[in-house]
Amino acid sequence: MPLNPAQPSANPGVKKDMEAVAALDRDAELMLRVREGDDTSFALLLERHRGPVVHFLYRMVQNPSVSEELAQEVFLRVYRSRATYEPTAKFTTWLFRIATHLALNWVRDGRKEKGQESLDEQVVDGVDRQVRDRQPTIEQTMLHEVKMTEVRRAIDALPAKQRAAVLMHKYEELEYAQIARALSCSESAVKSLLFRAYESLRSRLAHLAG
Amino acid sequence: MNCPTKRNEDAEILLDYCAQTLSPLQTAEFELHLKQCADCSRLVEAQQEVWGALEAWTPPPVSINFDARLYARITQEQAAPAWRQWLSRIFQPALPYPFWKSAIPLTAACALLTVTLYVRTPDAATVPQPQLHADKVDIEQVEQALEDFDILTPPAQAPAGSM
Repeated sequence: MPLNPAQPSANPGVKKDMEAVAALDRDAELMLRVREGDDTSFALLLERHRGPVVHFLYRMVQNPSVSEELAQEVFLRVYRSRATYEPTAKFTTWLFRIATHLALNWVRDGRKEKGQESLDEQVVDGVDRQVRDRQPTIEQTMLHEVKMTEVRRAIDALPAKQRAAVLMHKYEELEYAQIARALSCSESAVKSLLFRAYESLRSRLAHLAG
Repeated sequence: MNCPTKRNEDAEILLDYCAQTLSPLQTAEFELHLKQCADCSRLVEAQQEVWGALEAWTPPPVSINFDARLYARITQEQAAPAWRQWLSRIFQPALPYPFWKSAIPLTAACALLTVTLYVRTPDAATVPQPQLHADKVDIEQVEQALEDFDILTPPAQAPAGSM
């Protein structure tokens, strides 16, 4: 449901910006169009990034309704700040920076305890649906669920910054530099965060091997 | 090649190998190293186990009405009075405003003001000190000075014809 129809950009400043970001990415170009009032481009951005953002936040907070609420806030902030958007980096870096900031704030504010579903509960996961299609045995399903609970617990046990770094590295496939910008730290700090996080995960999930 | 298990700085190659983001040349070089290094082989195996376990974790699908709810919020926000939109932009920015940035010109202004005041205010050292008060003068010293003065003064001439 776009709010405004697409409009060709006649603003020379925008043209210049677009040339500057041509090499950067298509998303930044779309965002510049949003800045000019083209809400169709916003719909396109939403279509492209809705899934990754919601899934990243879901893995951060491990609560489906909270993750969607936070994702709504992310896109609302993107839309709200369209007028001041400057394509200084990749759009995804900016987007995940906002998402990480909101998720870390949520974790820091201790809202986690209030909104968290018990990890022992049967969380409505995509996994459930996938295994059902392949008609696994009850034993396989249970085994898979136990494994997933262990994975969720291991991720949840990581310090929030390490968790965010792992999720952006593993699932969103962001580069070290992008993760560094999202977490407002240096690239070497990101590598150190990741190494420590994976070290913890290796020791926590070692018993799942085999 | 440096062993990633021995040097933390080289640990990145281990992560990149498992993430399959190394170039073919780097991959070949690292695989050659893996054949010779038992520590690295164990670490790669453990890391790949973790990688596989994380891979299996699929999040639930996004709600069908996600976009509709978002657009409703946007429409609601746009219908709000201008001052409320302005407040939202100020208090809920996309990213936190780095307050240290505003601190730089503020500090510079304070420093300039301090320097200006320092330059325009006469220095304490250059201000003439007030004269000592009489009550602080040592009486004995004054008496001594008067006596010395008397000694230096020639005795008065006797009037002629007085003898």
